Amino acid sequence: MSLLRMGLELDGSSRGRQVRDIVHGLRSVAGARGALLVAPDGFVIAAEAPPSVALDPLAALAATLGRDLEVGAARLGRGAFQTAVFSADDGALFLSTTRIGFVVLLAEPQANIATIRAALEEAVTLIDSGWAPSATAT
Amino acid sequence: MSVALSRLWRPVPPRRPPTAADFFWQADRLRRAGHYTDAAQLVKRGLRLDPTSITGHLLAAYLHAARRTVEPARHEFQWVLVRDPSHPRALLGLARLALETGDLDGGRETLHRALRAFPDFPEARALLDALETPAPAAAPARLDRLRMPGGALGLLALGGDGTVLAASPDDVADVAGTLCRTVSLAAAALRRAGLGTLRRGVVDSGAASHFFRSDGGLILAVWLPRGTSNTQGLLEVNRLWAAAQHELTVTNDRAAAAVVPVPARRGP
Repeated sequence: MSLLRMGLELDGSSRGRQVRDIVHGLRSVAGARGALLVAPDGFVIAAEAPPSVALDPLAALAATLGRDLEVGAARLGRGAFQTAVFSADDGALFLSTTRIGFVVLLAEPQANIATIRAALEEAVTLIDSGWAPSATAT
Repeated sequence: MSVALSRLWRPVPPRRPPTAADFFWQADRLRRAGHYTDAAQLVKRGLRLDPTSITGHLLAAYLHAARRTVEPARHEFQWVLVRDPSHPRALLGLARLALETGDLDGGRETLHRALRAFPDFPEARALLDALETPAPAAAPARLDRLRMPGGALGLLALGGDGTVLAASPDDVADVAGTLCRTVSLAAAALRRAGLGTLRRGVVDSGAASHFFRSDGGLILAVWLPRGTSNTQGLLEVNRLWAAAQHELTVTNDRAAAAVVPVPARRGP
């Protein structure tokens, strides 16, 4: 195995673990039913969701929605999109933008919005600092 | 001793130079960990070795899309589709880019193409379902009495089909399509997540938050300065919702009353 390959694998796997940890942390927040990190191209980077949820279609929708919100906010000229909450009869879907994609959190109807928002903010900060351009391997 | 050492210390076999497939494999691993820039560099190196690799160009497209660079991503997806016109992932990628740039018809058409080639393609089906627009209302009402709350930055009311019922200031109507798409994508995502029917939403951006409410027949959104509490924003949108419902009821009642009853025909 070349040094380059070994280095990239180590770096890739530690980053992979890091995103899984972040998603796991979000999933553990009280009232959370599931959490995903989805790349802007719709690829699921990490997920912990109920088995009844088909991840790929949900990820395709979440990434398209996220990009739509980013582009729409830019078009409106009211600053960059940050977070959205969509409430439904049986729960809510939170969506936050990060450097590497969108954090999606599925919540129970009784979930505390402030607690979930705080957890999302923390996750976004972790991702944005961990994946800052200067922090990437070269 | 020297025999034992030579057994342990075998000469290292000459290193095989990495192939294009090696670069793509490593790039995909990095992509899966959100390491897009480094992955893109490896894809570039792989494509130098094998410039006609569909895998390489598809990876390049994904990585451009992941880094939110639309035109290079579109170019790479199109490159793949010239070689393989029914490549499902390239079609899906191209459809998503069309949606991103507001080309709804182009997005729908590309999703239909993907589903014609691969009827069992859950991502394409989910997106197409989300983009279905209800038939336009026969005579859309205007909400002329709806007033923007003090301190609000904008107000927009849409019919379920996206018809603008009220917009204040007027240029807010320009984002009607975006709001309609946001609502339908969010509704589809909630359904797919098993969370039921969309009722309300809050979208925070740098300088403003917009609060909306929807019931499928009416979408009502109000933009308020960033920092407005959720409770306050939702109160405002609920108040406007009640006013809009009242006005729609009055308008519909007047329209019904204006219909002159046709006298019953007498029999022969």
